[in-house]
Amino acid sequence: MYRIDFNKLRFLLCDDNPHMRRILRTLLHSFGAREAYEAEDGATALEMYTHYVPDIVITDWSMPIFDGLELTQMIRQPESKGNPYAPIIMLTGHSEKRRVTVARDAGVTEFLAKPISAKGLYQRILNVVANPRPFIKTKTYFGPDRRRNTNAAYMGPERRVGGLAEILQQPSLLDKARSPI
Amino acid sequence: MAKEKPSPLDIKSYPDHHVITQPNPLRKVLRRVGGDADPDDPVLRAERALAGLSGEFKTWMAVEADRLTAAHAAIVRHGFNDKTCAELFRAAHDIKGDAATFGYPSAAATADSLCRIIEHAPDLDKVPPDLITHHIQAVQAIVHDYTKLDSLTIASELCRRLRKVADDYLLHVNRDRPEHLEAIMAPSIVPGD
Repeated sequence: MYRIDFNKLRFLLCDDNPHMRRILRTLLHSFGAREAYEAEDGATALEMYTHYVPDIVITDWSMPIFDGLELTQMIRQPESKGNPYAPIIMLTGHSEKRRVTVARDAGVTEFLAKPISAKGLYQRILNVVANPRPFIKTKTYFGPDRRRNTNAAYMGPERRVGGLAEILQQPSLLDKARSPI
Repeated sequence: MAKEKPSPLDIKSYPDHHVITQPNPLRKVLRRVGGDADPDDPVLRAERALAGLSGEFKTWMAVEADRLTAAHAAIVRHGFNDKTCAELFRAAHDIKGDAATFGYPSAAATADSLCRIIEHAPDLDKVPPDLITHHIQAVQAIVHDYTKLDSLTIASELCRRLRKVADDYLLHVNRDRPEHLEAIMAPSIVPGD
């Protein structure tokens, strides 16, 4: 069994709701984290992201100024001076399949639907630490590999050209968001 | 961790995409612990800490419910505009996300129903005002009367009926908008109460 040394990780928490930030902070500190920076809107979060260079970002979707989706898109700029590869966990009350897909296409690494649980948060963090996915860069996308299932027979318009992309066997974001943990 | 130099990237290029692999920069924070039973389970520790916060949940929930009521009052005064609508949605959306954690799952479900109205009604000015008002009042009632023994069932039933009325309305007004119909009828991925 593996455990995470949370005291070596730096987190950036972004949620406009102070109660949710308090809950997140409590959970992370209980896990052992010492460094957790907090922002209440997307603009502040982006500034803190550049300044503190966190290892993991946990962000809400709906926020003032710009939202968690826009924050993700701004972090996932391959030519940016900052780190565009940091794992981003989207923690949100949005719970529709369409939203999960939109978050995935923005470059989110993990999706966690509220209500939050200690187990759900821990498992998402463990997953991004222990099982990082390769990044894919195309004309229209830069972010973690969105394909988690092998389908060699797939010949549709989204088939990648030239060689087999590295594919990890993992449940999809949607399946994981649905799981009752 | 974050102060260390970034690891070199391995980039494989294909005609229409690149696969970029970075040696796991966070590998060093993983450690193996012996056996399946860890006496110092971080999840248990966090659950206990969350339980320790629970004394504040009732107050927090009342704050969230009052924020929702204030957002609704602004709409009654000024009508629906970008600002008032966004605040009502954000207040309802926060309750949808937080209330179950605070011990009020029926308030979360009621707020979810209100969020669906705001998201999918083609014209908010044409939504029957009572439909929105009843959602606001239901959240307040659930939050303030939840300590009564019989209120759990009542709250759940109230929420179920409101959701039914809201869904019937949304299905009717979106009958010619298939993309909204699909979203309205899709099951939520969040477990119910």
